[in-house]
Amino acid sequence: MKKRIIHFSLAILFVILVGWWIYSSVRDEFMKQSRDSQRRTVETIIAGFPSEPQDIEGWLARLAEDKDKNNYTAAFINEIPEPGKNLSETPKGDSELAKLLLENSAWDTEFTKGFEYASYEEIYRSVNNWTVGNKEKQALFFAPAVSLKTHDIEGVLVFAFNTDGEQDFMNMLHMLFLGAFILFFLVTWQLMVSRDPIVGFALAGLFLMTLTFIAYPLFEAVRLSFMENGRFSLSIWKTILTTKGYLSALWGSLQLGCWTATFSTIIGFMFAFVVSRTNAPLKKLITTMGILPVISPPFSLTLSIILLFGNNGLITRWLRVIGLNFSIYGLPGLVIVQTMGMFPIAFLTMTGVLQGIDSTFEEASLNLSATRLKTFTSITLPLAVPGLLSSWLLVFTTSLADFANPLLLAGDLKVLSLESYIEVTGMNRLGHGAALSLLLLLPTLTAFLAQRFWISKRSYVTVTGKPSGRITELTTPRVRRVLTGIIFTIIIILVMLYGTIFAGCFVKNWGIDYTFSLENITEALTRSRDALIDTVTLSAVAAPAAGIIAMIAALLIVRKKFFGKKLLEMLLMTPFALPGTLVGISYILAFNHAPIILVGTAAIIIINYVIRELPVGIEGGIDSLKQIDPSIEEAATDLGADQATVFRTIVLPLVRPAFLSSMSYTFVRSMTAVSAVIFLISARWYHLTVLIYNFSENLRFGLASVLSTVLIIIVFTAFGLMRLLVRENANMIKNVT
Amino acid sequence: MASENSNSKSVTFENVTKIFKDPQSGQDVKAVGGVSFRLEPGELVTLLGPSGCGKSTILRMLSGFEQPTSGKIMIGDNDVTDIPPNKRDTAMVFQSYGLFPHMNVSENVAYGLKLRKVKPQEITKKVKRFLEMVGLSEMSKRPTSRLSGGQQQRVALARSLIVEPSVLLLDEPLSNLDALLREQMRVEIRRLQKSLGITAMYVTHDRVEAMSLSDRIIVMRSGLISQIGTPSEIYRDPVDTFVAGFVGKVAFFPCKVNAIDSECHVEVKGKTFSTPRWSDKLKAGDTALVMARPESLSIAEPGAGIENGVVTANIYLGSSVETWVNTGLGNVLVQIDNPDVKKIWNEGETVSLSFDPALTKVLVDDLFAHPAAN
Repeated sequence: MKKRIIHFSLAILFVILVGWWIYSSVRDEFMKQSRDSQRRTVETIIAGFPSEPQDIEGWLARLAEDKDKNNYTAAFINEIPEPGKNLSETPKGDSELAKLLLENSAWDTEFTKGFEYASYEEIYRSVNNWTVGNKEKQALFFAPAVSLKTHDIEGVLVFAFNTDGEQDFMNMLHMLFLGAFILFFLVTWQLMVSRDPIVGFALAGLFLMTLTFIAYPLFEAVRLSFMENGRFSLSIWKTILTTKGYLSALWGSLQLGCWTATFSTIIGFMFAFVVSRTNAPLKKLITTMGILPVISPPFSLTLSIILLFGNNGLITRWLRVIGLNFSIYGLPGLVIVQTMGMFPIAFLTMTGVLQGIDSTFEEASLNLSATRLKTFTSITLPLAVPGLLSSWLLVFTTSLADFANPLLLAGDLKVLSLESYIEVTGMNRLGHGAALSLLLLLPTLTAFLAQRFWISKRSYVTVTGKPSGRITELTTPRVRRVLTGIIFTIIIILVMLYGTIFAGCFVKNWGIDYTFSLENITEALTRSRDALIDTVTLSAVAAPAAGIIAMIAALLIVRKKFFGKKLLEMLLMTPFALPGTLVGISYILAFNHAPIILVGTAAIIIINYVIRELPVGIEGGIDSLKQIDPSIEEAATDLGADQATVFRTIVLPLVRPAFLSSMSYTFVRSMTAVSAVIFLISARWYHLTVLIYNFSENLRFGLASVLSTVLIIIVFTAFGLMRLLVRENANMIKNVT
Repeated sequence: MASENSNSKSVTFENVTKIFKDPQSGQDVKAVGGVSFRLEPGELVTLLGPSGCGKSTILRMLSGFEQPTSGKIMIGDNDVTDIPPNKRDTAMVFQSYGLFPHMNVSENVAYGLKLRKVKPQEITKKVKRFLEMVGLSEMSKRPTSRLSGGQQQRVALARSLIVEPSVLLLDEPLSNLDALLREQMRVEIRRLQKSLGITAMYVTHDRVEAMSLSDRIIVMRSGLISQIGTPSEIYRDPVDTFVAGFVGKVAFFPCKVNAIDSECHVEVKGKTFSTPRWSDKLKAGDTALVMARPESLSIAEPGAGIENGVVTANIYLGSSVETWVNTGLGNVLVQIDNPDVKKIWNEGETVSLSFDPALTKVLVDDLFAHPAAN
């Protein structure tokens, strides 16, 4: 052990020395090159110094005109200044530079030296960098102004060269060498000291990934919201918290969230109650229809609502005939669409909760001669309250983060997610956009904390592991009829909404000309071909990446002890709580400048997909791994398999269902992504959903309908395929424990 | 049978400690505190002790799943302290078997060979031979989930043995089997281990298992070794009352040491005895305990023995009868061999106990340090 540490230290020392040598020679060579080129520029310029004094001003002006092309400013002093004496007149040329010269010529040693060089017809470059006006880090060149005619020195030409390029290069060099050194250090450390280098590398990779693609962009978003003109400032937040427009967006979001959450929870509870607490017919159908909207692509429900109730909608027309005039755009329309799309969240949560409540409680109550209503209000409902609250909060945060529906349907209503998008893309105010989307995080965080520390403590749901097949009937036939009536109405509405999109594919021009036509289909498919290929390609790359990373992360979290586990877990889970707009904005903020430039590439989209869908995959992997006896993996290790082999031959086959569902989940979510990806797409890499949005904005509803249908088909196929593959596994998994 | 495994190696622990951090309190817990021992090549040694005594930790340190906090572990002449488990020449049979659920029987057994890049034909041949050895030839294509507990155990055994490890490790391998199967497998494991001549370390808290399997037993308590010895040494000549109580039923009679010469002369209730074994910490004048096993005790008329008591139960076992006598020293078990030709005392009768001093040992009275094992 001691010997290894000595070897390790020696290796590090050696690398530091060699690294330093390479670094300093690269740096010196670059600086020399850069200075030489600046010097040559100066030489060329002074060679053109006019011979007639009256031409000097014009010549300087021409130099200044070229300022955008050249990275310098110039000034001319009509004498060779003497040390200790002020300039006799204001230098000509750039006024900021002239001001600097007036202030410093008399006493600064560098200036004196510069003037002295000029008097010997030499060029001098300042050692220090100077701030000229508002431009920092300028290198000053002092050059003789020699008249071509008389060959006399007429005065001194002073140039201020921008050293930003040099600085950037130096920063990059620093980063590069620091990064290389850290990497080398970690790799060597792992190889020399750790018994388990593969685990070490995997951990280092995960930490690097989370820090780079989760912590860093978020930090950038927060940082930018506190910056103005490159300085720390609270002005953005002040503006946002005092401007009426922004506050009304916050208010709009909260209103929308509250309404949607309330309606969704009521409907979700009804669905869940009927499925898990009554003997109503067609439960399978109810369950399927109750889950369906969760995986339906964005815009699809909005689109059909617009087709039906929009300004030119099918139903709007009829209502106008009977004298009803209304607009679906705004809060009511959004509440309807969001409720339709988000009640499945409440349904799924509530089903879990209701199934967790043992029927024996209700039986005991009935047995003590309580009425069914009394039993429901005094037993079932109180036990379900924590579940109701958490499903309300879940829908609430989902509604707040929703971006696709408001994009098409908000009308005059202002909501935060949309407002931050407009700030970034419409006004190019990235800081404001970042701040607004951070504001969106506040309710989400509150909801999350409430869930974590308050609701979960009041949960009475117990996992007995023995699901009782019996259901205590709590409803009278009449109540049951009313409940199923409501539920089937909702199901029929859903079917109608989906049917409308489908119908929209085959109609010439919705709202105007309802004749049957296949034109939209052919046009949509030709125009969306590239976007479709892009979308599928990016999603297909992201899916396996997310699946594998999720399983590796889950394995490390469940099975390994390491420093910083809590932090890693927290970072990995963070994207789950982040609204898409915030992720999108923070990504363009973080990755459009050095050291990592990714904006416009496919990589940024794929990384965004992977990072955002990791939490769900990791959760699944963790649950799955917790049921697998660790001695299975230990047995493989013991027989000589290294960690990578154990992962490949044992873990991955055993967590296959979790792996497959993580993959298909990522694929589907990537196919249907809008909120983050709308910031990240480029001319080269486009997304189908954004195309649907564009078509809808341009009132080409036929085209939008076709693309929505295509998306729905792809999404359902992917899910079906996953179900099929997982079922194959079902037999094996029963025996894993 | 001829030894097949020529590379069986010794195992040496040199002053090995293992300290865990308690995840709740964050305090250090000493699981193993300075343990040294040596396994000779081909020997089967059992680690015996109550749960939490550190025996499993020792096994996991030998297999490499835990790294010692200090000390040195050697397999043969190699220091393996810093070698990861997959690079150690050990094979472990896990308490829960750890069979790969997505592979069938022969795939499970072949796994280790595949990792060693053995040629496929050779793998097939060897797997066949080892499945025969454990009596599972018929089941080679079965999924492991459709095997009985005993069969799963055999698969686990074959999977470990097939890689011909220098050391075989068994972590309470029989604890999931029913009593009859356990006895069968015990014999089976011993047979395989002997025929392959492999060094083996066996962990159990079942003293009968330990006695019947082992060449030697290491009795552990609270992370430390109490005694190392052959089964009969441990049984007949335990170092202290803990070992005496842990490896078998026992009664302790308070006594006074009168003198120690070639024998230990003690006085119990006014009667003097001489025993051939005594703890070397004792000296004349000490108060001590006489340790007597059930088969060294006998029952007589009241007053004839050392301690009076009442018979509370008789358990007929065929070859013997176990009679429980409630005395001032607690409930004492007396084993009466060949019961059909001996007098059996009825429940409720008052009797007295005496012991055969040649079969006893005098121990330091440290009963306050731990509750009596019985």
